[in-house]
Amino acid sequence: MAPLQKRAWWGLAIGLVFALAFLLVFVFKGGIETFDEDQGFRIIIDILWVGGLIASGVIVNLSLRKPGMVDERDRLIMDRAPRIQWLAVVFTLVAWTITLSEAYHETGMVPTVFLFVIFMSILIVSTLAQSLGIIIGYWRMNRDA
Amino acid sequence: MPRIRNNIRRLRFDHDEMTQEELASHAGCTRQTIIALEQSKYVPSIELAFRIARAFGVKLEEVFQYEG
Repeated sequence: MAPLQKRAWWGLAIGLVFALAFLLVFVFKGGIETFDEDQGFRIIIDILWVGGLIASGVIVNLSLRKPGMVDERDRLIMDRAPRIQWLAVVFTLVAWTITLSEAYHETGMVPTVFLFVIFMSILIVSTLAQSLGIIIGYWRMNRDA
Repeated sequence: MPRIRNNIRRLRFDHDEMTQEELASHAGCTRQTIIALEQSKYVPSIELAFRIARAFGVKLEEVFQYEG
């Protein structure tokens, strides 16, 4: 397995663990209303998503620092990964738009706390999709040959 | 994908059974790329193709052949 491919699997695993922890804490601590009112809850969530992004970034980038770890084939795959990222981000935004429009249609306004939650979710999805894009890139290169 | 055949595997064995790792090191790529090339799962850039040919000390055409 190429170093970049290993990196992508690690990135995906770490991202999924943090995303799951983030979701579980969010659900069990009381959801969006508690999040808006409870500062302690907000700090836990902030630590989780910022920590997750940093952990993913550090592990991923440190593993690729050594010379000869990435070559032109890996770069080609990395250059194609943003297509998956773009799709994932668009689908996430579509899901948020439809869900929030339907949930708050009666009141005619969406609580501003959702801006923060949407931003967090987009960053998490984008990080996960980058790793996924790289894994799919290797899989396609093997399949299409 | 263009049909580009290569003799990397044979050339490695002709060169004192050069390992994939050694060739990768000489050519400046990863071992996984050499594996992909030998299995015809990847077509290299012109630059990498020249570096591989240089690692074997042969002309480019002796390593890669176009079957268009």
